[in-house]
Amino acid sequence: MSDHFSGPRALADPAADLTDLYAFPAPGNPQRLVVVMDVFGKAGPGAVFSDAVTYRFRIRRARIAATGPGAAFGVDPDEVRFDITFDVPSGNDTALQRGHCRTPGGETVSFSSNDERGGAGRGVRVFAGQRSEPFFLDVHTILESAETRRLAFKKVGSDTLYGTNVLSIVLELEWAELLGGGPIFAVVCETLRTGPRPVRIERLGRPEIKNVSMSFKTFDQVNRDLEIRDLYNSEDAFALMPDYVGAYRARLNANLSFWDSLDGKTDWPFDEGGNHPLTRLLLADFLVIDASKPFQETSYFEIERAMLAGRPHATAGGRWLNEDVMDFIFTLYINGGNGPRISDGVDAPIAWSSTVFPYLAPPNLPKVQTS
Amino acid sequence: MIAILDAKQATSTSGTNLAVATHGTIALLNLEAQIEGLEPNATSSRLGIEERVWLIDLLALRGSILSRIADYERALELARLLVGDATTEAAAFLARARTRAVFHRFRDALDDLDVAERLAADTESVDRERAAVFQGLGRYQEACAIREEDVRRCPSFESLGALTTLCAERGDTERAERLHAESVRRYRGVSPLPLATLDFQLGVMWMHEGQLDRAQDHLIAARRYVPAYAPAQGHFAEVEAELAHFDLAIALLIPLATSSDDPDYAAQLARICAHAGYPDDSRYWRERAAARYDELIAVHPEAFADHAAEFWLAAGGDPRKALTLARMNLEIRKTPRACSLLSRAISADEAAGARCFSQPQPSQSATSAANERSMQ
Repeated sequence: MSDHFSGPRALADPAADLTDLYAFPAPGNPQRLVVVMDVFGKAGPGAVFSDAVTYRFRIRRARIAATGPGAAFGVDPDEVRFDITFDVPSGNDTALQRGHCRTPGGETVSFSSNDERGGAGRGVRVFAGQRSEPFFLDVHTILESAETRRLAFKKVGSDTLYGTNVLSIVLELEWAELLGGGPIFAVVCETLRTGPRPVRIERLGRPEIKNVSMSFKTFDQVNRDLEIRDLYNSEDAFALMPDYVGAYRARLNANLSFWDSLDGKTDWPFDEGGNHPLTRLLLADFLVIDASKPFQETSYFEIERAMLAGRPHATAGGRWLNEDVMDFIFTLYINGGNGPRISDGVDAPIAWSSTVFPYLAPPNLPKVQTS
Repeated sequence: MIAILDAKQATSTSGTNLAVATHGTIALLNLEAQIEGLEPNATSSRLGIEERVWLIDLLALRGSILSRIADYERALELARLLVGDATTEAAAFLARARTRAVFHRFRDALDDLDVAERLAADTESVDRERAAVFQGLGRYQEACAIREEDVRRCPSFESLGALTTLCAERGDTERAERLHAESVRRYRGVSPLPLATLDFQLGVMWMHEGQLDRAQDHLIAARRYVPAYAPAQGHFAEVEAELAHFDLAIALLIPLATSSDDPDYAAQLARICAHAGYPDDSRYWRERAAARYDELIAVHPEAFADHAAEFWLAAGGDPRKALTLARMNLEIRKTPRACSLLSRAISADEAAGARCFSQPQPSQSATSAANERSMQ
């Protein structure tokens, strides 16, 4: 739920509110790539997907264009899309909502939501339904840290998402066949209002860009009163509008600098252009995955770190469901990996995801939340 | 009857082009799911201030769509607890102001807004809430100044929609329709709930103007967005009753009167059944409405004074009670409708008094009314 509450507009319809994106090589099957999109954080048992929303994965071939301080990706202009849509549930059983995945080859794979077998087509398998929230973090201590400007994490934190559920869409695909080449890909997901002129509601790539990295206004000396996230959400992840990039850059520079200051030393001195060294990479707001590398439990941002260090990457990158990505982000932002691991005191979700399709754990019972 | 209604919907000539939106059934399922996802921790530290405020607003929203007073009451209670837990949070006071305004506790709401402003809530947010309270109080010029400025600064679905509602309440029909169209044109979301709410407001506006066909168009549109939208169904039934389609009106109202804890539907049924020549049914619904209005007036007098007064003036048949409530209502809100209600209540009370004096055994209420007049 790293992207939940990521702007006022996203809140209006929870079924369009993206919470997380994951991308990882299928465990035990290197020919397959898995992408997961979660929406509707803290979903109650009756939650269903919207029939007016297109849930879209966009995947482009990518390459490492530059390493060192100016590290950057090159991304192909062409892309492959998987569009998932849903019907209005019929009858009394709302859990039986029909979904349809349109593949880039024009095939439509239909399936019933919450059926763990999912639907299958040529080189693709798809699941959608309610699952246990795989993400975990302590929101209160993050907010407290921002307010007090001191690291407020406790040894044992409180998982804000303990026992909650999300609506997940899991897509497993033969990457060589369906994505055309590779092996490095840039992945984003989007929710769009359907209709003759689709309107992007949200888009999501990296975890905690819009919230932990962008939401705080206080530190931004350029646009201190601007709720920037709706604007950011409406952008094409692969082609930010030049008119607004300056505003995003200023916000990221300010907030990353704040995080860096929390241990009393500067691990990320700004570059000659006055930018935080991570800003450029984070504004390339998509998950980057090398499908030729085997599945690994912890690999988020490893490709980018290798690029910054000027060495070859060793993992698939992307993002696995069980990774403690918050601890990674805090360590990266605060000490740049030059010090001890910084933990928010929450090290596990209520239920671990498995290495078997559809990967995410079954939904929690409502009473679990209060226990 | 339902089949007739469906056919009517399908062939409606509603001038409202429906925007692309989530089906109303899904929207309501998901509204329930949002509330269910947050309610288990409604008062625990696991929910942050933002989510507690969100839950309060979701409950109020469900209350407005399904006519559930229990939801409004829960929202009010949660807002009270939130302010107790977060005495320095402007958002908590803003949330409580909204819930208090729902119950027509406008003075309390304005006090909360003053506190929120002192706690550094941004002035624009506070003013938007103030505008809603001013509208409720009938202070239309002040409300209008804020709404106009909001539209000038940021002409969005939300700001234009709020001005639409204000114009609709003031009876500025032409402008309300124009603003409504512009508001919908700027809508970028997929939730049908705000769209349905706007159409409902315009439907009510045209009812007050006596243009029933135009009212029907908007009420049908509201129900096409959200089929279970109770107030839209209730007002649609009222229009049908005005057109002497009593059986259809009754068929539409019975499920609402049965499922809702708001007595308005029972009150309408009592009135319409009487017109339709079903005195036993009318008596049954009258008793149900009367009992519930008495309960609600005891707990939330400000909120239900106007509707209860309308009931006692019509099917309730107690002008004395109506007069007391209409006076209370006018003390709370000086709107044209409140003035009109009091005027009608005084007339009805005088008429009842005149009838009493012409009879050998005056009723208790007529006697009381006569006594009250003599004290003025």
